[in-house]
Amino acid sequence: MLSLGILAFRWVSLAWMVVLALTAGELRRPVLAVATIAGLVGWTGWLTVARPAPSWPVLIADLALAAGLNLVAGLVMPAGSVGERPYFAAGYPVAAAVTWGAARGVGGGVAAGLALGVSLVAGQLANGIDLAGEPPAVLLDLAGGSLNFVLAGGAVGLVARLLERSAGQLREATEETIRARERAARLAERESLARQIHDSVLQALALVHKRGRELAAGGQVPPGEVAGLAEMAAGQERALRSLILRDPDQEATPAGAASLRAALEELAAAERSLPVTVGATGALWLPAGQVEELVAAARQALDNVVEHAGASRVALFAEEDRGAVVLTVRDDGRGFTYDERRLLAEGKIGLAKSIKGRVEQLGGSMAVTSRPGAGTEVELRVPFLTHRGARLEPPGPPMEDQGG
Amino acid sequence: MAEKIRVMVVDDHPMWRDGVRADLEASGRVEVVAEAADGGDAIERAREAMPELVLMDLNLPTVPGVEATRRIVEESPHIKVLVLSASAEEPDVLEAVKVGASGYLLKSATAAELVDAVARVRDGEPTFSPSLAALVLGEFRRMSGGAEPGLTARETEVLRLVAKGYTYKEIADQLFLSVKTVQNHVQNILTKLQLSKRYELMRYAIRRGLDRT
Repeated sequence: MLSLGILAFRWVSLAWMVVLALTAGELRRPVLAVATIAGLVGWTGWLTVARPAPSWPVLIADLALAAGLNLVAGLVMPAGSVGERPYFAAGYPVAAAVTWGAARGVGGGVAAGLALGVSLVAGQLANGIDLAGEPPAVLLDLAGGSLNFVLAGGAVGLVARLLERSAGQLREATEETIRARERAARLAERESLARQIHDSVLQALALVHKRGRELAAGGQVPPGEVAGLAEMAAGQERALRSLILRDPDQEATPAGAASLRAALEELAAAERSLPVTVGATGALWLPAGQVEELVAAARQALDNVVEHAGASRVALFAEEDRGAVVLTVRDDGRGFTYDERRLLAEGKIGLAKSIKGRVEQLGGSMAVTSRPGAGTEVELRVPFLTHRGARLEPPGPPMEDQGG
Repeated sequence: MAEKIRVMVVDDHPMWRDGVRADLEASGRVEVVAEAADGGDAIERAREAMPELVLMDLNLPTVPGVEATRRIVEESPHIKVLVLSASAEEPDVLEAVKVGASGYLLKSATAAELVDAVARVRDGEPTFSPSLAALVLGEFRRMSGGAEPGLTARETEVLRLVAKGYTYKEIADQLFLSVKTVQNHVQNILTKLQLSKRYELMRYAIRRGLDRT
């Protein structure tokens, strides 16, 4: 693309050429002069409108026109009147040298300048000047005029290359800055992860370490203490693992939604008095409020098992079943005969009623299945509410992608 | 005295391997015939040592545990793979079971549970934990309506009971079945799951036009 500056220079030169041609006295070949000016106007107009890329054909045509102009100046100006600066050509040929310099660098600019210098000499000869008969001062002037073209082309070429190089350097510097920022961001993230690990995992490890030694030194080891330490280590293991495995999917958690499975896993991890397994048919994304209520209900049921059932383990199971979320709390304890009316009469219904209340608030229902010696199953069934009418299960379970 | 069960332990942590080896050998029922620290090693050593059962960690260098499981079961179908995993890796566990693992156990299991699971898996009894059963159930629900073989009502019932923490014995009592029948149901579920994986791969191949070559 030709620069706007050079185009403006061309137009100004052209205008100046016309002014000089009209005012500087008689021209030898008026038709040639008018045709040349018309041709230059056409060429410059095309350059201005089309803004062509400085390809070789364009550059060569431009240079040929400029050199031709120097020659024409010699032909149209009164014989013997062309000095080192033919006024008919005005500054226009310089534009060609500058364009070459800008497009092809120092080499291009100098080459174009030399060609124009030669055309300047040719113009002198065409003007009927016998160069051999001229005094040295005139020849020097001519050489100076030729040199001007070379200097103009070469200088612009140099500046263009310098600008290009510094633009490259600027781009590199900018990219380097961006990379440095990204590095810093990654480092900051790693540091924040490291801090989280420090705060909890290392603390737990230190405690396990310290208490372990103390227990060993004390000779007798109370099982409760050891179990507590093991549980703490297990909790940190889970925390660390979830930190490492935290995947970008989790960041795509729908606003206002929570995973029932994740919440149940948290509840299970917090239970210290007996093992709690968690099963879920998926992440089960529900409105956060609903998850909260369901987990609160499960916690009450769990507390009840711990206190009364004499169970050795508890299972929490959540599934989506025909438009409902079903949460089951099942223990392998002593069980009982569930008779709501009798329990009500004996005043033992408090807890069950409270759980039932929570579930009914969510538009759901509670069912208790139990018989003596066969454990108890509390089933909470609530409508599968979606958040703002949209399905909250993120598209495609992750495991489907891994197998392919 | 009965023959000891020949086991290979695959885990990238040497201390963990030592601990598992000690637990298994202390029982007197198991002999650890090989150890491997990564998936590639596991595939190679399974060929040489020919264990009856591989205890497989999933998070492994070089070749991941799921892929190592697939390759080992493909090359030597008589080798059983029992996955020993941490809780947060359940999608991987499901994949491992789909490609041929016979069951999985959490790393937090006790030594007795571990030895028991090893013995049961060697005897061809699939070990489904409650959380794995729930995942499998969810998987079948997502697939329902496709070309894959679905679960029968009875199989779904069994799977739900396993997910609720019932033992095979308790399930047998509740459904008036023998324990053997319950085991058969679980085995069928596993087979259908593995079959569904093969359908999935086939569909993938067809979609990619690989069937035309």
